[in-house]
Amino acid sequence: MKRKLISIMLTAVMMTSVLVGCGAKEEAAAPAADAPAATESAPAAEEAAPAAAEEAAAEPVTLTWAIWDEATTQYWGDIKAAYEAANPNVTIEMVDLGSQDYMTVLATELSGSGSDFDVVTIKDVPGYATLVSKNTLEPLDAYISEAGIDLAQYGGVDKQITIDGSLYELPFRNDFWVVFYNKDLFDAKGVPYPTNDMTFEEYDALARQVTDTTFGSQIYGTHYHTWRSAVQLFGVLDGKHSILDGTYDYFKPYYEMVLGQEDDQVCRNYADLSAEGLHYSAAFSGGDVAMMNQGSWFISTLMTNIASGEYDASLCGNWGLVKYPHAEGVEAGSTLGTITGLSVVAASDVKDAAFDFVEWVSGEEGAKVMASSGNFPALMTDDIAGMISGLEGFPTDAESKEALKVSNLYLEVPYAENVAEINNVLDTYHKSIMNREVSIDEGIASMNEEVGKILGQ
Amino acid sequence: MSNEAVLRKYRSKSKSAAVSKTIVYIILIVITLMMIVPFLWMLSASIKSNREVFLMDPFVFIPEVPKWDNYVKIWTKIPLLKFVENTVILTIVVTVLQLITSSFAAYSFAKLKFKHRNTLFLAYIATIAMPWQVYMVPQFIMMRSMGLNDKLLAMICLQAFSAFGVFLMKQFYEGIPDDLCEAARIDGMSEYKIYASIMLPLSKPALSTLTIFTFVNTWNDYLGPLIYLRSEEKKTIQLGLKMFIGQYTAEYGLIMAGSVLSLIPVIIVFLCLQKYFVEGVASTGLKG
Amino acid sequence: MDEKRVALLKSLESKSADLLVQIQKEDNMKKKQKLIAEQQHVQRQVVKVRSNQKISKDTKKDLVAYSFIAPNFIGFAVFTLVPIVFAFILAFMNWDGSNEITLVGFDNFKKLFTDTFFIAALKNTIIYVIGTVPLTMVASLALAIVLNQKVIARGFFRTVSFFPYVASLVAITAVWSMIFHPSKGPVNYLLLTLFKVPQDQLPKWFSGTLVLFTLILFSVWKYMGYYMVIYLAGLQGISAELYEAAGLDGANTWQKFKYITWPQLRTTTFFVVVMLTINCFKVYDIAVMLAGGGDGKLSTSATVLVYYIYQNAFNYWDLGYSSAIAMVLFVLVLVVTMIQFKYEKNLD
Repeated sequence: MKRKLISIMLTAVMMTSVLVGCGAKEEAAAPAADAPAATESAPAAEEAAPAAAEEAAAEPVTLTWAIWDEATTQYWGDIKAAYEAANPNVTIEMVDLGSQDYMTVLATELSGSGSDFDVVTIKDVPGYATLVSKNTLEPLDAYISEAGIDLAQYGGVDKQITIDGSLYELPFRNDFWVVFYNKDLFDAKGVPYPTNDMTFEEYDALARQVTDTTFGSQIYGTHYHTWRSAVQLFGVLDGKHSILDGTYDYFKPYYEMVLGQEDDQVCRNYADLSAEGLHYSAAFSGGDVAMMNQGSWFISTLMTNIASGEYDASLCGNWGLVKYPHAEGVEAGSTLGTITGLSVVAASDVKDAAFDFVEWVSGEEGAKVMASSGNFPALMTDDIAGMISGLEGFPTDAESKEALKVSNLYLEVPYAENVAEINNVLDTYHKSIMNREVSIDEGIASMNEEVGKILGQ
Repeated sequence: MSNEAVLRKYRSKSKSAAVSKTIVYIILIVITLMMIVPFLWMLSASIKSNREVFLMDPFVFIPEVPKWDNYVKIWTKIPLLKFVENTVILTIVVTVLQLITSSFAAYSFAKLKFKHRNTLFLAYIATIAMPWQVYMVPQFIMMRSMGLNDKLLAMICLQAFSAFGVFLMKQFYEGIPDDLCEAARIDGMSEYKIYASIMLPLSKPALSTLTIFTFVNTWNDYLGPLIYLRSEEKKTIQLGLKMFIGQYTAEYGLIMAGSVLSLIPVIIVFLCLQKYFVEGVASTGLKG
Repeated sequence: MDEKRVALLKSLESKSADLLVQIQKEDNMKKKQKLIAEQQHVQRQVVKVRSNQKISKDTKKDLVAYSFIAPNFIGFAVFTLVPIVFAFILAFMNWDGSNEITLVGFDNFKKLFTDTFFIAALKNTIIYVIGTVPLTMVASLALAIVLNQKVIARGFFRTVSFFPYVASLVAITAVWSMIFHPSKGPVNYLLLTLFKVPQDQLPKWFSGTLVLFTLILFSVWKYMGYYMVIYLAGLQGISAELYEAAGLDGANTWQKFKYITWPQLRTTTFFVVVMLTINCFKVYDIAVMLAGGGDGKLSTSATVLVYYIYQNAFNYWDLGYSSAIAMVLFVLVLVVTMIQFKYEKNLD
C-alpha cells in the first residue's frame, strides 16, 4: 500500500516537474530570443516603419488595451473614438480590469507565457516596477528614437521612471495634488477662502476656523483620505526627502498635525473612515467637508457628476481649488504627482501598431482628447491648461485657474527596485499610526527598521 | 408513599420543568435575536435614505417614506443582472457536477472492491485537511497555463471535484446495507443500474445536504472568483457587490438593497431543502 | 460463458493427463520428445485459460469501479493533487511567475524567522484559532441541546440560526461594519446612552487590539448554526432510553449532560473541533472584509497567514516565499489535527 502511494506521488512529482521544467525553459528562452530582436529592431524598424505604415492602411489591426472603470471614466472611450477615426484600419478593443487591484490583475494577466494584450495602461509605479522585473513590457527606447519623440516635453518625469537606462512606458496623464474646497461652507462661517500660498500653520488654522462641531450639523474643516499619500507626503514637498530614503522621521510633524485635527474633530476619524471604507468623492460631495487634499483627477469627476446630477449641486456645487500648502520657507506650488502611462506588451505580435497608439495617446493629439474632458495630460502646455480651466463647470475664480500651475512636481512613488515592498511597509504603519495602535514615534521607528531591512537586502 | 407526597413531588417536578422550559426559551429568544437582528437591520436599512440609516433617536424600523426605489436603482448602478447570471450559471453547473461525480465516485468507494481503493480514498481524505490556500497559487499558475484564467470554466473545474463531496456521499452509502446491492447483483443488474435505480433514490437526504453545502459555498465564494475572474463581465455577485461597496461607500441604502438581493437565492435553496438537512447530516455520518 | 471455459479447461486437463500416460508408455525417443512438446503446449494452454479467466473477471470489476471514480478523480487529480505537489516544490524555489525558476533550498524558510509581517500574521492567526474554536464549539453545542428539546416553533428557530451561515460574507460584513461602526453604529450608540461609556472611550471594533476580538465574535456568530446542525444530528443519535434510565436513577439535568450527552457526543465533538480548526486556520475573507477598510489591506494588528500568502503571491510575485508560508500553514493544520487524533485515540 505504502509503495503504491509513493509511486503515485513520484509520478505526480515527475509530471509537475516536467510541467515546471517546460515552463521555465520557455520563459528562459523568451528573453533570449527577444534580446537580439530588440537590438536589431532599431535599424530593422527603420525599414519596417514605412512599410508598416503602408501596410497599416490596408490591413486591419486590432489592439487589445487594458483599462479600468470604463463606465465611470469618460476618456477611455474618447481616446478610442479619436484614434480609430484617425486610423480607420485600427480597432481598439478595451478590456476593463476594474480599478480595485488593477495592477495586481494586470500582472497576473501578463505573467507566464503569452498574453492577450497589446497595450496596457500603467496605473502606478510599484506595479510598473513589478511588470518590468517580470520582463513583460517592451523597452521603448528604440521606438522613441525612431519616432523622434522629444522626452523633454514631459518635464523630467520620464527620468523618474527610467529603469537601467530604458523607458518602458510613455506617460499620457499626469495628475498632481491640490486642495479642493467648498466655498459655501466658508461663506456660511464667514471665513476667508484658502489661498494659493499657505503655510501648513495657516492651513491648519484655517481648517480649525471653518470647523463646526455642533452635533447634527458637523462641518469638517478638512478631510484626509485613508491613503498614506494624503498625510505622509506633505513631508516630501520641501524637496529634501523621498519615500525611498529609508528614514522617515520627517513624517512626524504632519502626523502630529493630522492626529491633532482628528482629536479636535477638525477632520473625520481615520478609524471611522476605515470601518466604512468611505470614498473621498462621497466625503466631499456630502457637503460637510470644507477642504480636502486630493489629486487633480477629482476635478473631472466633480465636474461630470455635478453636471449629471449624481452629486447634489446644492451641497458641493460651489467648489474651488488652491495649491498645496507648503512648509515654512519653501516656495508655493510644490506638489505631488502621479503619472499614468501606456506600455507595449513584450508578447504582443503587433508591437509597431501598439507603439503607434501609445505615441499618439501620449502625444499632442491624445493630450487634447484628455483635456477636453477635464483630465490632465502628461504633455502639458499653456494651451492645454487653458482648455481645462475654460471648461464648463470649472471654477471661474482666478485663484482656481492659478492653482493649476505647478512649480515642482515630486512623484508620489518614484521608481526603485523594491518599491512595491517599501510601499507596503509605509502603508501598513500608516494604518497603525492613524488607527492609534502605535504612537507616531513607534510607527516611524518600525518604518525605518522594516524599510532598512528591504534596502539592506 | 402517601398520595400527598407523590402529588407534592409531581408538583415540584412540574415546577422545575416549567423553570427549565422558561430558561430554554429565554436562551432561544436571545440567540435568535442575535442571529436575526443584523438581517432585520439590513432589510430596514435597504429602504432608508443615507441619513436615516444611522438615525438612532428615534430608531424606526420602516421609515416614513420607504425608499423602495433602492431596489430599482441598484440594477442600473452596477451590471447586477450580469453578475447574477454568472453566479447562477456557475453555481448550478458546479452543484450538478459535484452531485453527479461525487455520488458516482462515492458509490464505487463504498460498495465495490477494487485495486488501489484505499490508496485512492486516502488521497481524497488527505486533501480535506489541506487548506485550499496552501495550493491556490500553483493551481492558479497551472490554470493560467491551460488558458483558463478569467473564464467561468476555471471556477467550475476548481469547485466541482471536491474531496468533501466524495467523502460525504461515501459515508452515506456505507450506511446502506450491502445486502441490497448483492440482491440486485444476483438479479443480474449491472453496477450502473444498481447505482441509478437503487442507490440514487435512497440518497435524497445526503444529496440535499451536499446541495446546500455546495450551493452555499459556490454562491458565496469570494477569494476564488477574486483570483480567477478578473474582467467585469465575468464577475460573480459577491465580487460585484464588493466592487459596488468600494465605489459607492456612502450609499448605505443601496448597499443594503444589493446585499438583500444577493441573499435571496441561497435562502430559497436552503428553505426548500432544509427538511432533509438534519436528517442528511445525521445519515452521512458527518457528525463523526 | 463461464461454463464453456470450465469445459475447455476440463478437456485440456484430461488431454494433458492422457499425454503424460502416453509419454510414460512410449519408448521411441523421437516420438517421446514430440509427445513431451505437445504435453507442454497443452499445459501452457491450461495455465492460460485458468489465469485468463481470473484476470478478465477482476479486470472487468476494477474497470467498472474505476469508471465510477474517473469523472471525479480526473478532475480532482488535475486540479487539486498536481497543484499540491507543485506547491511543495515551489517552496524551495525562487520564482516570479515569468522569469526562470531557481532552486534556493531552505532560504525561503530562513527568511520567515526575521519577517515581522509573517510573525504578526502567524500570531494573529493562532490567537484567532484559539479564540474561535472553543467558543464556537460551546455555543453550537448549547444551541443544539436547546433546539433538541420539544419547543414551540422549533423549525423556525433552527432555520433562523442557520441564516448567518448561508448568508454571503460580503453582505453581512457590510451590515456588521455598520452595526459596529465606531461612531455612528447602534452598538456603540447603546454603549454611549445606556451604559454611559464616555464618547472618547467607545470601542473601535475594527482596529487595534479589538479587531481580533471582533473577528472571533463574527466567526462564532456566522458559523455556530452550521456546527449546531452537526451537533443536532449527533444528539438525535443518542438513544432516549439512556436518559430515561438516568431519570429513574434521579439524575439532574447537569448530571445527564455530564454522564450521557457529553460522552455520547465525543465523536461528534471530535469532528466539529477538527473541522473548526482547519477552517479557522484558513481565515482570510472575514479579516479582509471586516478590517481591511476601503483598500482591503490589513495592518499588523489584523493580518493573517492567508492574507500574507496572497500578498506575496499576487502583489510581490514572490511565489516561492508565498509557497513557503503556505507550507507553514499546512504544517500547523497537520500538527494540530494530528494532536487531536492522538487525543481521541488515547480516550478509546
